[in-house]
Amino acid sequence: MTDFSDAMSITASGMKAQAARLRHVSENIANADTPGFQRKTISFEAEMAAGQPTGRVETGRVRLDRTDLGQIYDPSHPMADESGNYAGSNVNLLIEIADAREAQRSYEANLKLFDQVRQMSSSLMDLLRK
Amino acid sequence: MFKNLEIFQTSFAMARHAGARQAVTAANMANADTPGYRARAIAPFAESYSRGETSDMRVTRSGHIGASALSTPAPVGFSDAEQSPNGNTVSLELEMMKAIEIQREHNRALAIYKHSLDVLRTSIGRR
Repeated sequence: MTDFSDAMSITASGMKAQAARLRHVSENIANADTPGFQRKTISFEAEMAAGQPTGRVETGRVRLDRTDLGQIYDPSHPMADESGNYAGSNVNLLIEIADAREAQRSYEANLKLFDQVRQMSSSLMDLLRK
Repeated sequence: MFKNLEIFQTSFAMARHAGARQAVTAANMANADTPGYRARAIAPFAESYSRGETSDMRVTRSGHIGASALSTPAPVGFSDAEQSPNGNTVSLELEMMKAIEIQREHNRALAIYKHSLDVLRTSIGRR
């Protein structure tokens, strides 16, 4: 039984991590046109307890993407400099969409496994029924 | 069959093994996007059974209960799948297949257990 509850909490940690990733992706996409916005990324790490991996996954701290901001030419923009450019964001929509897709796939895989573990444990409980 | 009830112990060990394997698969799947994570694996029940890891403990008297079903499943090894650029060796497709296989094994073990129980019940004349 502990194996089942272990498996469930592990898949739940996976879903939580993917959801956090998706949240940051949506933040990036929402701010794709915000001047000076740097895209945020989070890392995944295997959770450790007393030097042993527990199997759970956790998200690391949020980091900012340090690549250069895109220069956008628009002389009428209030933030434009003498040459008519202003700094946009360094969000690449293509990358964000791909990232979101991957997060969705991994989330689905975890959800599927959660359901399967639940089925297994309920079929075990069915043994008690006559 | 009725002396040691080995079939119960074997099916119990099989179900337990499936549970432990499922936990490892869950850990792999949760870490499918963790950089540098190496996928782990437990050998299938048939393999670890034939290697004698789940076989009966030696009993000095016939009245003693063997501890076969209570022995822990095979040790955890690393599966040697292909590495992705970030050093992760989890293949979601492979884990999916394994999860289905494990579920079927678990169901099989429970079916055997339930059926043996039915046989036992019938033999003592209860329905």
